[in-house]
Amino acid sequence: MGITLLYDARCALCIRCAVWVSRQESFVPIRFLACDSPEARETYGGVPWLGEELVVVSDRGEVWAGPAAFITALWALREWREWSYRISGPELAPLAERFFHAISSNRRAIAAMIAPDPCAGGTCRVPHAFR
Amino acid sequence: MSTPLLVPVYATYAAISVGLTVYLARTLSRNGAVFLDDVFKDNPKLAEAVNKLLVVGFYLVNLGYAALIMKSDPAETSVAAVEVLAWKLGALLMSLAFMHFVNLYVFYRIRRRSRLAQLPPPVAPQMQLPPHHAQAYAYAQQPAAVPAR
Repeated sequence: MGITLLYDARCALCIRCAVWVSRQESFVPIRFLACDSPEARETYGGVPWLGEELVVVSDRGEVWAGPAAFITALWALREWREWSYRISGPELAPLAERFFHAISSNRRAIAAMIAPDPCAGGTCRVPHAFR
Repeated sequence: MSTPLLVPVYATYAAISVGLTVYLARTLSRNGAVFLDDVFKDNPKLAEAVNKLLVVGFYLVNLGYAALIMKSDPAETSVAAVEVLAWKLGALLMSLAFMHFVNLYVFYRIRRRSRLAQLPPPVAPQMQLPPHHAQAYAYAQQPAAVPAR
């Protein structure tokens, strides 16, 4: 099974995270797609969270969004699969969910703190190594 | 001179420590092989190699430690000699037990890591797309059998 990670290419933090994911060793192939790209709109237009939240789609058509998508992305990574089970367990799941929501809904503000105005003119430069 | 009493202590100690180490190493490799065969199903030679290497390490640490703690103060009486022997064997057994559990833990970790690769995602998907979009990828293995909800 492979997964497609639909990230927000207008947010520097999201690009950074996606690049980080792309550099990890993974159990399953991961494809990265900006959520506002024509291909994403065409193929995954029916996903209601597209553009609002992180979305992960498996090549079997399963869709995860928001915190579940974060967890599924971690699950795909060799070093982090164990953690994906840990944080989706009963004790940590509520905490993890709050954490992911806090990051995700403030992603523009956080990105602005890390790198001020990286997307002036509406386009972020996606690092060349990652595509 | 107390030396005559130490010689039988040393001799007994050497015999028991070497015997125990050999016995434990063989037990470890025989039973560890079952674990490793399960983990390296696709590569039995690798399983064998890992097993051998673990056993060599086990021998080195245990015989080395046994040699290091052999020297003792002279025993004046035969009772003292027995006590010295008991203390040394106790220390050796403790170190063997420690090594043994470390080995078990290593086997456990290796096995768990290999099982991790087979596990499904921890959270259920929130939505099911018709699988037609999946055909575009080179890595798609099989079309999904689950219909759209």
